Amino acid sequence: MIVENSEVILSVKDLTASVEGTPILKGVSLDVKAGEIHAIMGPNGSGKSTFSKVLAGHPSYEVTGGEIRFKGENLLELEPEERARTGVFLAFQYPLEIPGVSNLDFLRVAYNSRQKHKGLEELDAFDFDELVQEKLDIVKMNASFLNRSVNEGFSGGEKKRNEILQMALLEPTLAILDETDSGLDIDALKIVANGVTQLTTPENAVILITHYQRLLNYIQPDYVHVMEGGRIVTTGGKELALELEERGYEWVTEPEATEARV
Amino acid sequence: MTIQVSPGQLAKSKATTQREVYLAALLNQRSEFDRQNLSADLGDWLQDLRDRASVRLQDLAIPSPKDEEWRFTDLSSLLQVSFQAATAALSAEALAGFNAVLPETAESCLVFVNGRYMPSLSSTAGLPQSVTVGNVGQLEEPYAARLRHYLAQQPGSEEVFTTLNTASMTDAAVIWVPKNQVVETPIQLLFISAGETATLSHPRCLVVAEPNSQVTFIEDYVTGDRGYFTNAVTEIWIEENAQVNHTRVQRDRSNAFHIGKTAVSQARHARYIGTTISMGGKVSRHNLEIFQLGEQTETTLNSLTMIAGEQLSDTHSTIAYSSPYGTSRQLHKCIVDDQAHAVFNGKVVVPQAAQLTDAGQLNRNLLISPKARVDAKPQLEIVADNVKCTHGATVGQLDADEVFYLQSRGIDADSARKLLIYAFAFEIIEQVPIASLQQALSQSISPPTS
Amino acid sequence: MTASVRTLVNQPYKYGFITDIESEAIPRGLSEDVIRLISAKKNEPEFMLEFRLRAYRHWLKMTEPTWQRATYPAIDYQNIVYYSAPKQQEKLGSLDEVDPTLLDTFEKLGIPLSEQKRLTNVAVDAIFDSVSVATTFKEKLAEEGVIFCSISEAVQKYPDLIQKYLGSVVPVGDNFYAALNSAVFSDGSFVYIPKNTRCPMELSTYFRINNGDSGQFERTLIVAEEGSSVSYLEGCTAPMFDTNQLHAAVVELVALDNAEIKYSTVQNWFAGDENGKGGIYNFVTKRGLCQGVNSKISWTQVETGSAITWKYPSCVLVGDNSVGEFYSVALTNNRQQADTGTKMVHVGKNTRSTIVSKGISAGRSENSYRGLVKIGPKADGARNYSQCDSMLIGDTAGANTFPYIQVQNNSAKVEHEASTSKIGEDQLFYFAQRGISAEDAVSMMISGFCRDVFNQLPMEFAVEADRLLSLKLEGSVG
Repeated sequence: MIVENSEVILSVKDLTASVEGTPILKGVSLDVKAGEIHAIMGPNGSGKSTFSKVLAGHPSYEVTGGEIRFKGENLLELEPEERARTGVFLAFQYPLEIPGVSNLDFLRVAYNSRQKHKGLEELDAFDFDELVQEKLDIVKMNASFLNRSVNEGFSGGEKKRNEILQMALLEPTLAILDETDSGLDIDALKIVANGVTQLTTPENAVILITHYQRLLNYIQPDYVHVMEGGRIVTTGGKELALELEERGYEWVTEPEATEARV
Repeated sequence: MTIQVSPGQLAKSKATTQREVYLAALLNQRSEFDRQNLSADLGDWLQDLRDRASVRLQDLAIPSPKDEEWRFTDLSSLLQVSFQAATAALSAEALAGFNAVLPETAESCLVFVNGRYMPSLSSTAGLPQSVTVGNVGQLEEPYAARLRHYLAQQPGSEEVFTTLNTASMTDAAVIWVPKNQVVETPIQLLFISAGETATLSHPRCLVVAEPNSQVTFIEDYVTGDRGYFTNAVTEIWIEENAQVNHTRVQRDRSNAFHIGKTAVSQARHARYIGTTISMGGKVSRHNLEIFQLGEQTETTLNSLTMIAGEQLSDTHSTIAYSSPYGTSRQLHKCIVDDQAHAVFNGKVVVPQAAQLTDAGQLNRNLLISPKARVDAKPQLEIVADNVKCTHGATVGQLDADEVFYLQSRGIDADSARKLLIYAFAFEIIEQVPIASLQQALSQSISPPTS
Repeated sequence: MTASVRTLVNQPYKYGFITDIESEAIPRGLSEDVIRLISAKKNEPEFMLEFRLRAYRHWLKMTEPTWQRATYPAIDYQNIVYYSAPKQQEKLGSLDEVDPTLLDTFEKLGIPLSEQKRLTNVAVDAIFDSVSVATTFKEKLAEEGVIFCSISEAVQKYPDLIQKYLGSVVPVGDNFYAALNSAVFSDGSFVYIPKNTRCPMELSTYFRINNGDSGQFERTLIVAEEGSSVSYLEGCTAPMFDTNQLHAAVVELVALDNAEIKYSTVQNWFAGDENGKGGIYNFVTKRGLCQGVNSKISWTQVETGSAITWKYPSCVLVGDNSVGEFYSVALTNNRQQADTGTKMVHVGKNTRSTIVSKGISAGRSENSYRGLVKIGPKADGARNYSQCDSMLIGDTAGANTFPYIQVQNNSAKVEHEASTSKIGEDQLFYFAQRGISAEDAVSMMISGFCRDVFNQLPMEFAVEADRLLSLKLEGSVG
């Protein structure tokens, strides 16, 4: 929801970034305030996923210019794990499988690393178990998932729900959902969308990166941005997404189409 | 009605060997192409498709065991039978006799008899208007115009039986689900071989699921008393982020010949869930080809072959990856009794570009009798280095300890064995997404005594 | 591979020091005369000399195996010293008479031998170059009738047992390296567990190569009589030389009716430097014979060292209902090459075997699993379960799996599973994004990957093995 005078959580200015020498982001600017949900849409290869990885600090992406401030701090100076601990959460487009490491151990170590960072008490296995049981409900996951290796043998939908479970535990200030809706059937999509909605508060913010308008039937964004060629080319409200669905991205991305619209 | 072979048609063939001659004779059984409901444009295109396939067939022959792909599946017994193409009228009562139309699909079922569409026995009343389900000849625009991008256009090699099907194509079941449409009602495509002669039929299905759509369908094969020959081809196209749940049930009589091909192309983010039950046929073969054409596609394959007597059942599957983050889960189970013979060849191809692929294949075989035979060959061709590929194969008998355990609880040995076989099969049967079909299949195995 | 991935794999070898001690060695090269000299130095009975000469004559007719997945320059077998021993008094009455330099050496390796410091529940046979220098707790074991001594001593004291069992599992002409070992072996351990005896403590042999020119050829023989059981552990280290040393050992295990032998190895020979210079060639033949009904032999190995490992601890399951197990973690880094696995040969009815192999390859190393499961025609109801998992760290390491399955009995049940996974930038980023550091991430992934194998090790060694792996990989990721 848009709240007057709420705090700016994320401020991105003229961000440029490249991967293996190829520029992908060519000047992205975006302000996100507490309580807001932003959707970033765009065709394949427009730079949406790169933007999310740069925010989280993936080592393969080199920031070549611009700045990112997160709660006033220079995010670019922080290591990926430090960014995570200060409250930046990325729900991966392709959550990795980690054989041999149980989901429960993974969640506990992640949770405790954040607790430690905040100077809060770390939870032992018993207390943590109690906490995680509560959170399972948000994503309608069975407790048996906890004893399996991280994402190993999970279906696509289960992997994405596991991402939302992690989000529920880590309570981030800024959650970036990178195509979390891709590859989900309609039931899993509803569960994920419901989970995200439940976790949204006036204190935190969400960036939804999506390729399909479908997700926005279930999560109402305050702003819709369209990305193309490494830049945000258009910003509007929820109705922009519907128009995109109807008319395709060419409508905003091809110069003559844009002119025709203006 | 029996179609007569004209001498002229035979003369054109340059067939010399027995297997070439036999193939040419099968082709000559095809009916004339009925184009009365088609636009001139589509009619021409389909006619041309058939003709080109016929030409290709002239260089082909019925495969022999010398052919690596058919090493364990000997078609010699097929060559002993002279099949004829024949239409058979089937009354509603006769259809009911097969007891094959499912309660869940009473208003979403297409019936084909000997490969020909039976509108009077079919109903699509229970389906949303926006979904197209019917015979290829009924196809309306814009789909008719787009047909040529899908029908007989799957990647991969078109082997001899698929070519024969295309060359003989008359009717074809089409399911076309538009963008964003979620079809809740399952659709049944029922193929019945009936009539008094050894009939040859070439069933054909085309399924197109447009972006973000979802559909569930059952492809069901049953036969009457004669030793029919069914040569089926199903093509499935799953576009971006769409999902198809496909159940294929082959419950022919054990005197039938059945060769089936399922080809599936999956675009980015698409999901395919395939469940295959093969229990019929004297000689049966299922060629399953999956093409993952985009990132993060998900393929789930569960299959059960259950044969006895002198049956031979062969499953050849290929999962071809092309892009990163694809996953596949394949579980193929065989239960083989008497002198029956099951063959499984499971190929997984992971090229360099398909990094972070996660492919799992498991093949479990249960031999009920000492003369039962299984030939299993997992085939992993992996070039990419950052992948997770697992495969497993087991061949075993019923566990004597497990049988004994049940006996020690008062269950007689025969029931104990049945119960264990049932449990082995049920892991696949429970994947069938329709309750009544699940139940029917369970009962056909060995109902657990309640 | 990122810089951080590289650093984690490159941990200095901390056992690379050389002990300065006067040793007695014979000239380089191998001939019948050299074998007679070794046998004479050890004052062996005639049958042992015959055994050695028989092996030598076999060896002369054999050629080195080349099918393994490893490349190395030709070995000049005439340029190896076949006998080297620290000079010391002839007969040692007690540990007090052992050269203090040697005691210091073993203490530095974490194997204190003196009464005050020794491990309380583990009896140790310490072998330095070719000779056993000390065996602890001998008397206490003798009370139970357990024999635990160097094989040289056993040849003198228990010639009947040696004559009966030596070469009974690995015949003198079994393979090139086994034949060489049988001809020239200098020392090793002998264990005999009498009928219906549960060995009261862990037995352990610690092997140390010190001489840069000597090959090491130990021979271990363990016999478990009816109804007995024993758990045995071997550890190995060597100094860092820039030449390669040959280590060709033979281990034979015999389990009679209802007997159980558990054999664990933590192998940390010097692996060579990051460019592949130096390191041990570890060409070892290990085989257990489950001769009796219901017998069980279990191999557990944690292989982290050696420039080249060629090793297939095997079980021959002759007794009905006998059980063979193989649990292995093989870690290779830098230029190491490992071709290791097992053979499970099912002969008797209802024999069962389990294979769990975990290969971890980092750097530019090559790590291959090679295993044979053979079900003989009479092995009704035989069962095997094999699981072979590989983990790649970085982009330049190689992993291969070569499972061979031969089934000649249709009531057999053979299961094989294999997987390959990876620790790379993407996996580490996933952990980092959840606030978990690279070191913790690697440690979690490696421990998880190896858990099934480490669970098989005796408690104190499981901790040691976990630590060893973390050390070996420290700095390779992060």
